[in-house]
Amino acid sequence: MLNSLINKLFNKTTSKDTAKKRLQFALVYDRLEVSDDILKDMQKEIVDVISRYFVIDQEQLKLDITRDDDLSALMFNTPIISAKPRQRMA
Amino acid sequence: MEGKIIVISSGKGGVGKTTATASIGAALAMDGKKVAVVDMDIGLRNLDVVLGLENRIVFNIVDVARGKCKLQQAAIKARRLENLFLIPASQSDNKDALTPDDMIRISKELRKSFDFILMDCPAGIERGFENAVAAAEEALVICTPEVSSIRDADRVIGLLFSKQIPPKLVINRIIPSMVERGDMLSYQDVVDVLSIDLVGLVEVDDNVVVATNSGTPLVLQKDSKAGQAFKRIAMRLNGQPDLPIEVPGATKSFWKRIGSKIGFGK
Repeated sequence: MLNSLINKLFNKTTSKDTAKKRLQFALVYDRLEVSDDILKDMQKEIVDVISRYFVIDQEQLKLDITRDDDLSALMFNTPIISAKPRQRMA
Repeated sequence: MEGKIIVISSGKGGVGKTTATASIGAALAMDGKKVAVVDMDIGLRNLDVVLGLENRIVFNIVDVARGKCKLQQAAIKARRLENLFLIPASQSDNKDALTPDDMIRISKELRKSFDFILMDCPAGIERGFENAVAAAEEALVICTPEVSSIRDADRVIGLLFSKQIPPKLVINRIIPSMVERGDMLSYQDVVDVLSIDLVGLVEVDDNVVVATNSGTPLVLQKDSKAGQAFKRIAMRLNGQPDLPIEVPGATKSFWKRIGSKIGFGK
């Protein structure tokens, strides 16, 4: 109790704080390690959805997962050729 | 009888799966339930020595799978507990000696004769893991408050969820003085990182080694903190899910202890 109070007062980082931070990052990375098959499946589904609304250039689309120190992102890049004419809802 | 199958897993080796299986199994048996503990670590069996039954093995689970014996012939009754039975692993085969289909078949029979079936999962996430979880309805994930163990636990938790087996967390080998100093992750930290339900906290305890030395169930020792913690985990699995979880080291201060002795407070 006293120890943790002193640490807080002097704003010291304890070794468990370091452990927790490292763990949280490691797990984010681990959980994002997706197999190629899963990525391919996902890409196909995303393309299906987008194709309902836009005509896209399927040759040039790119799917990628990028990782930075404090951010992980799923990047999906596709050139849009045109919007699809939408049918009016009945 | 329609028994419940619980797999005890961890990913990482040496975090206390076998001790947990033996202890929780013994505690459930003491509560009057008929319990089977199944050693799924084919080739590296140890649940038998932890329970002090290594000299009584005649048949094992691989024999059952191959039809060389009946399930009842492979089940060994524990020495001091009436309702506890061990289904040992084979020591001479490897993990490929069993398939998940074998386990589903054997489990149908196990459910008929026992209230609780605890599967002691081997370390790793390969075939041995697949076999151990094949028929499980619930899972306990054991981890210690260390980075490597928690990381492996996270992986196993992900795999269990993908198999629709809800996992619950047991944090083992907590050293209260280190947690206090800030040199060990607290149970809140671990739960924070893994974000699954907690079912028990177990303090590091010399009695674990002593109990294993003699092959007697830890839960029979009344003064063993770990043994008592495992006993409470068993109660939570057996119809008392809301039994409060005691935090190791959160012992009362000197004055509070004096106070409770003379009848003030709790």
